[in-house]
Amino acid sequence: MSRLIIPLSAFFFFMAESTYADLFSGEHFNSSRIFVPHFLFIFILFLTIFGSTKYGIIYGFIFGFLFDVVYTEILGVYAFLFAFLALVVSRLMKLVHSNIFIAALISTAAIAALEILVYEANGLIKDTGMNFTEFATIRLLPTLLLNFAFIIILAFPIKRIIEKANFESD
Amino acid sequence: MPQFFLNKRLIVLLVSIIILVALIGFSVREREKLSWPEQFLKDTTGFVQNIFHQPVQFVAGFVENVNDLQHTYQENKRLKTRLDEYVKLKTEVQELEKENVELRDILDKKESLRDFDPIQATIIARNPDMWHEKTIINRGKIHGVQKDMAVITSKGLIGKIKITTQFTSTVQLLSSMDPKNRISVGIYGKGTIYGFIEGFDQKERLLLMKKIPYDVKIKKGSEVVTSGLGGVFPRGLPVGKVEKVESDQYGLTQVAYVKPSAELYDLNHVIVVKRKISTTESSSGAGAEGDDL
Repeated sequence: MSRLIIPLSAFFFFMAESTYADLFSGEHFNSSRIFVPHFLFIFILFLTIFGSTKYGIIYGFIFGFLFDVVYTEILGVYAFLFAFLALVVSRLMKLVHSNIFIAALISTAAIAALEILVYEANGLIKDTGMNFTEFATIRLLPTLLLNFAFIIILAFPIKRIIEKANFESD
Repeated sequence: MPQFFLNKRLIVLLVSIIILVALIGFSVREREKLSWPEQFLKDTTGFVQNIFHQPVQFVAGFVENVNDLQHTYQENKRLKTRLDEYVKLKTEVQELEKENVELRDILDKKESLRDFDPIQATIIARNPDMWHEKTIINRGKIHGVQKDMAVITSKGLIGKIKITTQFTSTVQLLSSMDPKNRISVGIYGKGTIYGFIEGFDQKERLLLMKKIPYDVKIKKGSEVVTSGLGGVFPRGLPVGKVEKVESDQYGLTQVAYVKPSAELYDLNHVIVVKRKISTTESSSGAGAEGDDL
């Protein structure tokens, strides 16, 4: 069971993201702001910080690729960015103490980096329909707010799941 | 941090960037169908999502019902006032329909651009990264869904089928920023005005209807419907209402801002529309116009 719990919860967050996007959106809060859920990415970051870096990167790549295939249909963008940012975050965590508040702040910063990089990638591929200031106000800030709230709510449960899986024994 | 860019790491990074670019290049082009690993992954996740979606939708539906109950009294009052109007309209429509059928019989014209077969479907997922406005439905090739079919709700057009797998299909919504997402529409008033739905204004959340001749006058609030002239969509699917009209950046044509009549969020049950009249695809002469739906 403890072997299965990590892939199962990653897959749960993978689906919860799309359900969230379907049920709640900016229009429900009467604004044109875009709230992008990054639950799966937060899980992968916490896995990297509190579990093992190796597993974080592998999960980042596999679920990023699944994300690309199922949702965006442009292969490689999220697979590469999830794995790459997991690596960067693990390097950063070596410089500071890995307590949960620092982890929450660094995860939020990583989400900001992810959003900006995806924006740039989409700008290369096609017309994104907004310039950087619009992107920052309509999309980036609401997204960071949503995901920071999500981290605050679920940081401890996620941490507990990962500690249960017990990576030190591997 | 010197060990960050060790030689081996650097090579791995470079190789993965090359693979990344190759993958993006492979997947970004317009594809007729997906490769089989992609289809397999999509069908498998689609199956799980279908199960996952049921309880979620049940709870969401319950909350919505409670919300509806609160407005019932006022709504009832308003609807009662419109009931008389409705009866009159209904008899008129019946007469017109009968006359239409008779006239068609006289002309011996069986097929119409308006006729279509509906395929009922349920939304099982939506792309959480909101750059590509796409949703996934639980009907695929084996249910008769094909690429480029129109997708509607009871209120109006919401998008078209982008790609199909065996058991699921991806719907590209009208609000998606894709230059290839063009739909031939018309405003049917005294004279008919044709144009294309091309693009979406993110800030004001309005569709852009382009390529309207500069000399026609469009009233605010006019109904925009699909014209069926693109060769794939049936005629007469409601798209939205005109909010405002501006001339385009060169002053040669006009751009109308159209408020979509269907809700593009919180979608649940949709209908995939299969046009009855044969498409122009078999006589693939109009290559350049193949994308205009």
